[in-house]
Amino acid sequence: MNRQELTVMADQAKTKHHHFSKKVCVCCGTSCMASNAEKVLEQVQQNIDALGLKDEVEANLTGCMGLCNQGPLVKVLPDHTIYQKVEPEEVGDLLKAQFVDKQPKKDKLLFADTRPEPFVNANDDPFFKKQHKIILKNCGVINPEDIEEYIAYDGYKAFDKALNSMMPEDVIAEIKHSRLRGRGGAGYPTGMKWETVYKYVNNQKYVVCNGDEGDPGAFMNRSVLEGNPHSVLEGMMIAGYAVGASRGYAYIRGEYRLAIKRFETALKQAKKLGLLGKNILGSNFSFEVEIRIGAGAFVCGEETALIASIEGKRGTPSPRPPYPAECGLWGKPTLINNVETYANIAPIILNGGEWFSETGTAKSAGTKVFALAGKIKYSGLIEVPMGTSLREIVFDIGGGIPGDGEFKAAQTGGPSGGCIPEQHLDVGMDYESLMSLGSIMGSGGLIVMDKSSDMVDVARFFMEFCMDESCGKCAPCRVGTRMMHDLLQRIVDGKGTQHDVDRLQELAVYVKEASLCGLGGSAPNPLLSTLRHFPEEYANRLVSPEVLIHQHLEL
Amino acid sequence: MPVITVYINGQKISTESGVTILEVCKANNIPMLTLCHLKGLHDIGACRLCLVEIEGVNRLLSGCTTQVADNMMIRTDTDRIKRYQRITVELFFAERNHVCAVCVANGNCELQQAGYAVGLDHIRYPFLYPECNVDTSHPWFVMDHNRCIMCTRCVRVCTQVEGAGNWGVMNRGHDVRIISDFNTPWGESSTCTDCGKCVHACPTGAIWPKAVAQGQLTKYPEMIGELVEKRKLLQ
Ligand SMILES: Cc1cc2nc3c(=O)[nH]c(=O)nc-3n(C[C@H](O)[C@H](O)[C@H](O)COP(=O)(O)O)c2cc1C
Ligand code: SF4
Ligand code: SF4
Ligand code: SF4
Ligand code: FES
Ligand code: FES
Repeated sequence: MNRQELTVMADQAKTKHHHFSKKVCVCCGTSCMASNAEKVLEQVQQNIDALGLKDEVEANLTGCMGLCNQGPLVKVLPDHTIYQKVEPEEVGDLLKAQFVDKQPKKDKLLFADTRPEPFVNANDDPFFKKQHKIILKNCGVINPEDIEEYIAYDGYKAFDKALNSMMPEDVIAEIKHSRLRGRGGAGYPTGMKWETVYKYVNNQKYVVCNGDEGDPGAFMNRSVLEGNPHSVLEGMMIAGYAVGASRGYAYIRGEYRLAIKRFETALKQAKKLGLLGKNILGSNFSFEVEIRIGAGAFVCGEETALIASIEGKRGTPSPRPPYPAECGLWGKPTLINNVETYANIAPIILNGGEWFSETGTAKSAGTKVFALAGKIKYSGLIEVPMGTSLREIVFDIGGGIPGDGEFKAAQTGGPSGGCIPEQHLDVGMDYESLMSLGSIMGSGGLIVMDKSSDMVDVARFFMEFCMDESCGKCAPCRVGTRMMHDLLQRIVDGKGTQHDVDRLQELAVYVKEASLCGLGGSAPNPLLSTLRHFPEEYANRLVSPEVLIHQHLEL
Repeated sequence: MPVITVYINGQKISTESGVTILEVCKANNIPMLTLCHLKGLHDIGACRLCLVEIEGVNRLLSGCTTQVADNMMIRTDTDRIKRYQRITVELFFAERNHVCAVCVANGNCELQQAGYAVGLDHIRYPFLYPECNVDTSHPWFVMDHNRCIMCTRCVRVCTQVEGAGNWGVMNRGHDVRIISDFNTPWGESSTCTDCGKCVHACPTGAIWPKAVAQGQLTKYPEMIGELVEKRKLLQ
């Protein structure tokens, strides 16, 4: 395919889709699929035919719409009417009400069971109102298994623009200008990373996409890969052009079967159209992408461990320096970015870095996807501008704590992060603010806890996770997490003394600073942050050494 | 190699570039504790005993894996480094089962020496005493997992120097273990050439020859580095 053919194809695809006045999207993300979404889709297609609406209404499967607990979901566009918990046998009535009687079925509307007045236009619902979508814009709208539809929604336009009207330096300058930072956890400036890889002179460089997503409860990356795989691929392609790489690897966690399948489909389709391969769009840029399936260890998400894993070695981290940018896959300069980071690239190239940097805060530009979970009324996948306050997320979007529960704290950054207590509810969710409270942005896990949560046990739980997931290579993490876990268990069991807390404090800082990689480097965070924000919960648990000896003697 | 200047604990040192901080320390008689490092093997930065502070770097880096750069200001002797070295050695002792008095390596063990070096008089952490087996199936050598500190010097010497690849690592976290072939008894190994290099490379009393009584073990780990150097000359 050449440039002209791409433009023709985009026009044709647009005409084809614009031909329909309505669109019924059936969520076929992992969660909705598990509750019979495929049957629902089948019924939708059959009923559109039966109602004689074939020429007006198109039906499509889409990726995750972000409200997996309410699935299967059916969305009607352009009205933005969402129906929840749709059973296959309800579809007929639903579509008849929607398209023939023009009276949406109220009792099936999104949140009909929890809101006194559910919204006919879901965009008016508080859950969606405060969201701002860049990454998830077309997730839940387009068919992730159809490259034509992606192209109809301006897909590969950014790649074409970069390839044909920008030098690699211009692309990097645009990304730098956008102030985009890595979404995999550490928030390193993406443009700077690209520039570093670009500057190393080597006839072989690689681009790697980190889709390992091992945090418990996280599914941000999965949803993007399932719902809009081409957007990630396009980001990788632009990156390949910018840094001078001819080969890319998408490392996707093995449990993500559907994401792997959809990304594979995306690769095949792109290859077929000549968007991957040799001399793409008539240029002298050649690029191939392969999938590598992750073995399921949390530590394999760490970049040096991930590289070892792609090379077919045991997935354990290596000391940095040297950084992958200099010496990565098979010793070659390697760019490694997160799924969500890549998904931001095409919009930035298309709309400009300036446009992107207008969203979010001065130091944290753009949006962030969070997986909102825990003791919260409306949980799910949300995308908000960086700097949105925790209060807005928990109470406006999430609807607050269910029942008569009260907010106690929210954990960000999963097992590598920390908790944010009630008095800091107004903190803006950006890299620096979270850091100053002893937590981290992480990859976007957000767990809400109510007053019934036991913070010492929360710390123990996350420590257990890190202890089990430690790769065992370096001594501080391997033995230190075990020691900290055992000491925390002792306190939870009511057998801890002040001496144990002192030892915990010392070990925590030691493991943080002495460990080889970020797993050990962040494993003490939940412990340190609960000690900082909830010291009384530890103090109330402690016993004096004398009491302990008595207990011991009585046994 | 161009000559550069570095400062270690305030001392100005001229050195060639492309070498590690550990190599510069050794060449200049600046003490640096190590356990996973063995000359001749690829360094992995696992034991974290050789940590250094570098001005302008906000993390501690392992001296065995970090190359010097011009005007680098390095400290190996701060209170923090010393405190961390002590904790690391304590954790090694608490992790498995190190009863020096009944160990073949008594008096000849790098872990024991590290204990002396950090002034270890008692261990402040509970002993974990995990279940570890002692593999006596090899006709000449014994592998006692109780004394293993997971430095992987045996794994690396067997792969990188002997080329046999008998040893490997299994499991994660505190369950990691060194394994022979596919976790089978060493005596049944189809790859081991009985060369004995791992016996000498092992810093503790984990791998030892059967014909040795308690406290009588002598090891010659430097042999590995010498061997590698000699091979280079032959090439
Ligand atoms: C224990 C550990 C697990 C990690 N897991 C992931 C992960 O699942 N996905 C990810 O993108 N980055 C993960 N990272 C961060 C990566 O090492 C790396 O920084 C990131 O992929 C860089 O991409 P970015 O600059 O786009 O954020 C992990 C880091 C550590 C220490
Ligand atoms: S910090 Fe933990 S996960 Fe990282 S290298 Fe050390 S033992 Fe492995
Ligand atoms: S004796 Fe030699 S071949 Fe056998 S395990 Fe040891 S190093 Fe490897
Ligand atoms: S057996 Fe010896 S050389 Fe091998 S890992 Fe254990 S302590 Fe290190
Ligand atoms: S999978 Fe359907 S809403 Fe998430
Ligand atoms: S000797 Fe450097 S980390 Fe072990």
